[in-house]
Amino acid sequence: MRIMRWLVVLGLVGAGGLYVLARPAPLAAAAVADLTGDAARGEQVFWASGCASCHAAEKAEGEAMLVLSGGQRFPSDFGTFIAPNISQDPEHGIGNWTMLDLANAITRGVSPEGEHYYPALPYASYAKMEMQDVADLYAFLKTLPADATPSQPHELGFPFSRRETIGVWKLMFLSKDWALPGNLTPTAARGRYIAEAMAHCGECHTPRNMLGGLDTSLWLGGAPNPSGEGRIPNITPAKLGWTAADIVQYLTTGFTPDYDSVGGHMVHVVENMARLPESDRQAVAEYLLAVPDVQ
Amino acid sequence: MRVLLMIAAASAVLGSVAVAEEEDPFADAVEMRHGLMLQMATDLGKVGAMAKEETPYDAAVASKAAANIAAIASVLSMDQFPAGSEYQKATDSFALPAIWTAQDDFLQKIADLNSASGAFQTAAGTDLESLKAGMAGLGGACAACHKAYRQPEE
Ligand code: HEC
Ligand code: HEC
Ligand code: HEC
Repeated sequence: MRIMRWLVVLGLVGAGGLYVLARPAPLAAAAVADLTGDAARGEQVFWASGCASCHAAEKAEGEAMLVLSGGQRFPSDFGTFIAPNISQDPEHGIGNWTMLDLANAITRGVSPEGEHYYPALPYASYAKMEMQDVADLYAFLKTLPADATPSQPHELGFPFSRRETIGVWKLMFLSKDWALPGNLTPTAARGRYIAEAMAHCGECHTPRNMLGGLDTSLWLGGAPNPSGEGRIPNITPAKLGWTAADIVQYLTTGFTPDYDSVGGHMVHVVENMARLPESDRQAVAEYLLAVPDVQ
Repeated sequence: MRVLLMIAAASAVLGSVAVAEEEDPFADAVEMRHGLMLQMATDLGKVGAMAKEETPYDAAVASKAAANIAAIASVLSMDQFPAGSEYQKATDSFALPAIWTAQDDFLQKIADLNSASGAFQTAAGTDLESLKAGMAGLGGACAACHKAYRQPEE
C-alpha cells in the first residue's frame, strides 16, 4: 500500500516534470534584437523554404502564390491540418507580428500567445535556420499583400486536438543536429543547409515512427504518402541512380532522366528550387549524393 | 477432325480477343496519347542531354527536336481523351477524371504547352545558354498538367 502510494506520487512528479519540460520554450528577445532583414535575400529564403507551397490558396499559380491566405488541407495519421492565413492582414493574418514572433513560430513552433504549433508547420527543419535568414524572410513577408480570409480550425481528434501533447513530441524530435552529420565540402554543406533547414526534403522523403517523428536512420529512404496513395520515393544515391547533372536538371525543369515530368507534391518543390541560383541546385545535388544509401 | 478442332480453338482465341476489345473501348485513345507523350519525352531527351552537357550542342538537332515537340503539342486535343477513359476505368490509363469535370482548364493546359513549346523552339535553335534557360518553361508546362490531371504511378 505504502509502495503503491509512492508510485503514484513518483508518477505525478514525473508527469509534472515532463509537463514542465514540455512547456513551450520561446526564444529570448535578444535572439533577433540586433538583426535587420533584407527583403531581397528574404525572397530566396521564402522560396527555398516552401512557405507558399503550403500557405497559398489551393491551386494558386503565378502571382497568386504570393497571397498567403491559407486554406490548403494536409491529411495525416492524426487528422487534417488546414494551413492558416499568414498574409499581412493584421486581423486574419500575421500583419502585426514582430520579427521575434515569426522566429518563435517557425524555429521553435511557439505562437505569440505561447502555445505549441503542430509540427505540420515544419519547424523541426526550420529550427536549423540561421536567425539572419529568419530576419530576411520577415522583411520579405512584409512586402506581401494582405488577405482577409479567416483561418480554418484543424480537424483533429482527441488527444491530438490538445496542443499540450505537442510538447512531448518536441522533447523527443526537435533537434538542431544535422541528419547528415560531419564535415562536408562547402558546396555540400550549403546543399545540406538548403535541404535540411529550409526545403525540408526529409519531411516527405523520410519515413516516420509511430509518434510521427522522422526516422533519421532511414534519412530520405522513401515514405508512405500521407495523402494515402502511393509512396514518396527513396532518393538516396544508389536507389535514385541519378548523376549530379540529372538532379540539377530535375530541380530546374522537373524532367527526370527519362524525360517524364515531375508530379505530385514534388511539382511545388521543383518550382521553388527553380527560383534559386543554379549554384544552390548544384549544392543540393552534391548533398544528395553524399547521403548514405537506404535499401 | 484435327482441323476442325484447330479451327474451333482458333476461333475461341479470336473470339476472346474480340471480347477483350469490346470491354475496353478506350484502348486506342490511351495508346495514342501515350505514344504522343512518349515521343515528346524522346525529343526532350535529345535537348536535355545537351543541357546536361552530356552531348555537344547542335543547333540543327535541337531545333528539330523542339519542332517535333511543338508539332505534337498542336495535335493534343480531347480526341485522345474521350470521356470515361480514366484511371481505374480504362486499361493503363493514368488520366484523372478532373480532365472532364474541368475541361476548360485542361484545354488551357494544352494551350499553355503550345505557347511554351513555341518559345522553346526559338530558344533551342539559338545557343546552349538559351536552350538551358528554355527547358524550365517547357518543363513547367508538362508538370502543370501532370500535377492536376495525371495519377502519379506507384
Ligand atoms: C508543409 C506545410 C507548411 C509549410 C512548408 C509551412 N507552413 Fe506555416 N503552417 C503550416 C500549418 C499546418 C500551420 C498550422 C500549425 C498549427 O496550427 O499548429 C502553420 C502555421 C504557421 C504560422 C502560424 C500562423 C498563426 O496564425 O498562428 C506561421 C506564422 C507560419 N506557418 C509561417 C510559415 C512560414 C514563414 C513558412 C516558410 C518558412 C511556413 N509557414 C511553411 C504549414 C506549413
Ligand atoms: C511536399 C513533399 C516533398 C518534399 C518537401 C520534397 N519532395 Fe521530392 N518528391 C516528392 C514526391 C511526391 C515525389 C514523386 C514525384 C512524382 O511522382 O513524379 C518526389 C520525387 C523526388 C525525386 C525523384 C525521384 C524519382 O525516383 O523519380 C527527387 C530527386 C526528389 N524528390 C528530391 C527532393 C529534394 C532534393 C527535396 C528537397 C529540396 C525534395 N525532394 C522535397 C515529395 C516531396
Ligand atoms: C494537357 C495536359 C498534359 C500536358 C501539357 C502534358 N502531358 Fe504528359 N500526360 C498527360 C496525361 C493526362 C497523362 C496520362 C495519360 C494516361 O496514362 O492515359 C500523361 C502521361 C505522360 C507520360 C507517360 C506516358 C505513358 O506511356 O504512360 C509521359 C512520358 C508524358 N506524359 C510526358 C509529357 C511531356 C514530356 C510533356 C511536356 C513536353 C507532357 N507530357 C505534357 C497530360 C499532359
